[in-house]
Formats: sequence, C-alpha cells, structure tokens
Amino acid sequence: MVVLLNSLSVTDCLNLCHRVVDGFCGREPPRRADFSAAWSLEEWLQLLDSLAALFRAAVGNNSSDEEVSAGLADVGSSQAATVLKVLRARQAEIRRALLDRTASISCATLQDFDWQLKLALSSDKISSLHTPLLSLSLNVRENEALRPVTMEMNKEELNTLISSLETANKVVLLLK
Amino acid sequence: MEEVDKILIHALKQVGTEVSEDTDSIKEFSSELIVEAVVRCVRVIDPGLGSALPTSLPPGMSARFRVGMSLAQACQDIGYKGEIGYQTFLYSNEPEIRSLLMFLVEKLPRESAEASDQPTGKSVVLQRAVAAAVKAQLAVPWLPTNCRLPLQSETQGLGSLHSFQVQPLSLPYCTKGPDKKHLKELKDYQRDILPPVTAQPSHHASVVASIMEQHTAELTAAQEWDNEWKSQGLLSRLTPQEYRSRKMSRLHKRIQEQLRSAVLPPPDSSFSGARSSSDLSELLQAFRGSAPSDDILTKGTHFTHTQKFTFTQEVSAVTASVPTGRQSEGDIQLRQQEELASLQKQFEQLCSNVEQLTADMKHMTVTNTQMLDELKQTELGNSDKEEKILVKKKTIDLLPDAENNLLKLQAQVEASAKRVVNLASQWEKHRAPLIEEHRRLKEICSNQEVESSRKLSEIKSLHDKIRVSTEEAKKKEDVYKQLVTELENLPQDASRSAYTQRILEIVSNIKKQKEEITKILSDTKELQKDINNLTGKLDRTFAVTDELVFKDAKKDESVRKSYKYLAALHENCNQLIQTIEDTGTILREIRDLEEQIETENGNKTVANLERILDDYRAIRQENTALAAKVREG
Repeated sequence: MVVLLNSLSVTDCLNLCHRVVDGFCGREPPRRADFSAAWSLEEWLQLLDSLAALFRAAVGNNSSDEEVSAGLADVGSSQAATVLKVLRARQAEIRRALLDRTASISCATLQDFDWQLKLALSSDKISSLHTPLLSLSLNVRENEALRPVTMEMNKEELNTLISSLETANKVVLLLK
Repeated sequence: MEEVDKILIHALKQVGTEVSEDTDSIKEFSSELIVEAVVRCVRVIDPGLGSALPTSLPPGMSARFRVGMSLAQACQDIGYKGEIGYQTFLYSNEPEIRSLLMFLVEKLPRESAEASDQPTGKSVVLQRAVAAAVKAQLAVPWLPTNCRLPLQSETQGLGSLHSFQVQPLSLPYCTKGPDKKHLKELKDYQRDILPPVTAQPSHHASVVASIMEQHTAELTAAQEWDNEWKSQGLLSRLTPQEYRSRKMSRLHKRIQEQLRSAVLPPPDSSFSGARSSSDLSELLQAFRGSAPSDDILTKGTHFTHTQKFTFTQEVSAVTASVPTGRQSEGDIQLRQQEELASLQKQFEQLCSNVEQLTADMKHMTVTNTQMLDELKQTELGNSDKEEKILVKKKTIDLLPDAENNLLKLQAQVEASAKRVVNLASQWEKHRAPLIEEHRRLKEICSNQEVESSRKLSEIKSLHDKIRVSTEEAKKKEDVYKQLVTELENLPQDASRSAYTQRILEIVSNIKKQKEEITKILSDTKELQKDINNLTGKLDRTFAVTDELVFKDAKKDESVRKSYKYLAALHENCNQLIQTIEDTGTILREIRDLEEQIETENGNKTVANLERILDDYRAIRQENTALAAKVREG
C-alpha cells in the first residue's frame, strides 16, 4: 500500500514519513487532515500501517539500502528516495523505540508515573497533624490499555515501598 | 545605668510584660509593674513555680503582703542570693529592684540559642512556610475565573490539576550513534524537520515533565555506568569499549541459557514434544543471528507464530470439512460428532505417525553418525597400512647390494647423529639467552602488574575521596545557606554590635579611671613621705634646739624664759596639728554621712515610710472591720 505515496509531493511525503516515525516513537501520529491527498480512511490507515511496518522491518533486520529499495519498487523514485532518507535519519530513534517495546515484554509494564507530596496539616480529629503524605500514581500499560493505579502513602509505607523496590533492583543488578 | 535599664526593659518586653513606651528606666517602675515583670520572668524560668503566682497585685493590703512574701520565696527558690522580702516589691528601691531584675533576666533561658539548637532543620522551616502559605491561601476569597488576578490564578487555576505525563523527546545530542555514514541525513532532519523540544510533546503541560524525565534517565544511566566502571570496570583492566562488549556477550549468553532452560521442560502437550527440538533450534538460531537485540521483538513472538500457524491450519481444516448442508439439528450434531471423532482419530494417528517418524529419524541419524565414524577409522587404518607398505618396498629394493647399502646406511646414521648433537649444542646456545629474556620479561610483567594494581587502588581511593569531599562540600553549602537564612531571620532590635561597642567603651573608661586612681595613690604616697620627712626634721631640730637652750638656761634667766616659750610653742603647734587632723577626719565623716543621706533619699525612705504608715492604717482598719464582723457574727 506504499504506492499511495505517489499522490504526494516530495515535501509532503517527507513530512508524512517523519510524522509516522514520530507516532511510532510515542509522539503525536500524523493526522489525515494535514495531508491534501484524497485518500479514503481505509487507504489512509493501510498506508500508515504499511509505512510503520516498513520502517520497523528495515531497522529490525538492519537492511541495506538496496533491500529497502526493493521493498519500495512500486513507488516513484523520488518518493522512495525520501522514504530511505527518513529511514536513515531516524534509524537510531526507531531502534530505541523497538528496544523499548522489546523490553516491555511482560503483560503489564510501567508506562509512566507521577507523584505529589502533600502535607496534612490537620484532620477532623487532630488539630495539628503535620504528616507528609505521598500520592503516587502509576500508569500501567496492560494489554495495550493504560490503567492508572493511584495510592497514597505515609512515610513508613513509602519506606517499605522504596526498600522493596531496592531489593528488586538488586535482583536486576545480579542478573547483569 | 540607662543602658542596663534599656536591656532589662527589652528583655522584660520579650517575656511578655506590658511596659509602656515612655518608661526607660527602672526608677519609673511602679509596684504593680515590678510584680508583673518578676512573675512573668519566674513563669518563663520555672513554669511550675510561676503558675501559682498572680501577675497583678490584689486590692487587699494583707493579700498584697502575702503575694509579696510568696514572690520573695519564689525568687529565693530560683537562687537569688540578695536580700529580699515583701518590702522589696511593695516599697521598692531602685538598686534592689535592678539587681533582682538583672538576676532574673540572666536566668531567662536563651530563646534564640534554644531555637537554634532545637530543630532548626529544614523540615521545621518548611512546615512553618507551608502553614503560612496555606493560611494565606485560605484567607484569599474564591473568585470566578474572569476576575482572577495573576496571583490568584496561580493557586485557584486548573493548572495544578494537570497530571504530569511523559512523552519521549528527540534531542540532537542523544543521537551520537555509531553510524557515521548517515550523518548527513540526520543533520538535515535535525535542521529542517525536527521541531524544538517545547513543541514536541502534544500537550504543553508535559514539556517540563518530559524534559525532566529525559534528564533523570540520562543522569541515572551515567551514574550507574560510573559506579559500575569504578567498582568493576577498573579492576578488569580493560578499556571501556572492551568492557562493554564483553558484558554484552556475557548477557547474550545468559539470555540464551535462560531461554533454553525455559523452553526445554514442558514436553507434556502432544505436539510440543514432537516439535520442541526443531523449534528450539530455530529459536536459538534466531537469537544467535540477531545482532544486538532489535530482532528480539519479532523473534520473541516466533514461537507463538508457529503455534498460531499450526492451530489455524487445524481450525481451517475443521471448518473446511464441515459440509454446508443443514438438515435437522440432530443429524448435524451426529455428523459433527462423528467427524470430530474421526478427525481426532486421524489427528492421533498423525501424531503417532509423527512420533514414530521422529523416532525413526533419530535412529537413522544415530546409525548414520556411527557409520561415518567407522568409515573414518577404516580410512585411517588404510593410510597407515599404505605407509608401512612403502617402507617395506624400499627395504626390498635395497636388499640386492646389502653390504654396500649397510655401510652407507651406517655412515648416514652417524652423520645424522653428529648433526643431532651439533644441533643440540646450537639449540643450547640459543636457548640460554632466550630463557634469560623470558625471565626478564616475566619479571617486568609482574612488576608492571604490581604497579598497575597499586595505581588502581590509588585511583579508587581518589574516587572515594572525590565523593566524600563533594558530599562534604554539599553539606557545608547547605549549612551555610541555612545559617544565612537564620541570620536574615534573626531579630534586629537587640543590636549586638551596639552592646559590644558600649562594653568596650566602658572597659576603656574603667582603664582610664584606674590609671587616674593609681596616679592619685602615688601622689598621696609622695605626700605622706614628705609629711614624714618634715615631721622627722622638725623633731630633730626641736631636739637640737631644746638641748642648746636647756644648756644655756642653767646659766641665764632670760634664756630660761625663752626655753619655756619654746616648750609652749612646741606644745601649741602639736595641738594645732592635732586639731587639723581632727578636722580632716570630721570632714570625711561628714562626707560619708552626706552620702548615706543621699542613698537614703534615693531609697524613697520618706515616701516609703508614709506608704508603710498608710498600709499599716489600712491593715488596722481591715482588722477592726474583721473584728466587728466577728463580733456581729
């Protein structure tokens, strides 16, 4: 389906390819409205999929320029050159994204986390409490869906969490 | 005294006594104020002792007397050595009150010192700051969005509700990858296409979080590498690249082992048992083939791919074999069951076939290898035999001219023996220096090893030192900052420098006075000496004159008369001196008395006496009233 690229100008093609790689690396994917070519939705999606697959395969297999060009045989030469250029420019980034995906092989992975430190000055029963509380929210990716996990801990609980994480880290270090 | 009074009043104000602004010396203190000041001081010094004391004097005279007594007792309990009683408070005189207040103020716990020893830690400061900030925020009224000033929109806006989310960023300096050949494309991309880092994330709110995340990730990676390099890398005596590549190969091996052990055990399901050997080898092949690791993703799912593949095949076979005819339900079910049974049978048969075939295959491969081994052995035997045959052929060729050939052979043998000896001696010649060289090199090597290990340990200790000193520097910087903030927060009214300057002035004054006193003392001593001298001279002259005149007085009447006059003169003069001395002492006494009068005047004795009289009358009145009450009762 990469043939669909033929209906784009070279600069648009360059932009589209870069945006596809952006989406692959976790940033904003391209939007259909930004590109003037009159593709149907199905065609658009297929184009995106095939481009992503192309990049992935090319970086994953460490293919040479010739191999990639062979895959792009039915695309116009200028577009093919553009795709190749994008591939070479972003090779390291794509590689890193692939490595990240490989590393998160288990069923649930930690995508992101955020914390807030709160100081409880008083409660409904105690006028002066001065207890620091940490609210930790973990964004866990589980079967392609983000699931937020939020918890609030006081100092002791936080210490337990940290010590257990440290033991986990030790195990990981032993593996190295 | 004014300075002292100012300090005292400042201290008393800090304790909580309400001293009006106009009073600037102890002289102006009323009895009520004195009582309040003393009670507040006692309360701060010893809360248990002070809590029983009232801060103001009661109206009744006898009650006042009692309060005075208890206050005096409390002061003595605290450790005041001076004279003290109810009169000190009720009929005050300035010096006594001053000394008492000075004692009490000195006894006051140093609040500033206490505050600095106690938790001056950051946590307390922070808690206070937080409490203050919360209080300020609570005091601000809520406003609708349009009416907010920038100050309020900071605390009331929705900005604080944003959760931080991280998105990966693409930064030019990160991509310092090894592939130099695509540098031009990369540069073009970074120059023309790559948006600035603030435009990269989709939400503006996640810019900061993303950047911070990126930096922490890089920092931790660098630190981890640093630690590892310092602890293990240096000891391995490799260059960083070598160390890395070695570690990578080690990790690869480890992963392979793990996978092997994970894949091997489950031969329980019917097909995996049959396929495990071939599949595992494929899997391992895949891992071996993949350079660092990007292929692991596709390879990791290889296993499942094959699984899926076989399953889907079966499923499609099943669906294909289901006929489209739809007669009665029962029929269909029966048929399906039959088909299922037959298919299962088929499947089992196939499985057994496969097993048999694999067993056969194994057997065949084993026999094949055996045969190959046998073949090799026979080939070896053949070549051996051929060599033997060659030797025998030569000897048979030599047989006709046996004697000649024997001689030749002997000569050859001898020559070769000689040559061997020769070669051996030559070898010895060569060997000795070589061995020497080898030893020398070995020694150098070991020396270098020692040196390098010494240097390694030095490097390690240097690293440790660097770490320790950076930590220390950090700590000291923190302490410095804390101290600076404390200094800024210190109250400025008690100006220390002014006090010290004052003290220095006083000290210099005292020095001057001391000098003057010593001067006066020496003057007096000189005078005393002069006086002594003169009296001695006088005595001696008088004795000489007396003798002379006495000698002549026996002979001459007029001389006798003059002698009498002389004696009288002497007597009178003595009396005169005596009187002058007496006048001096009396003058001194007068001065003493005047001083005493002054001090008594300072003690407000008359006023106090009047007050005492008044109080006495009041007490008597109270007493008579009480007596009347008793009588009435």
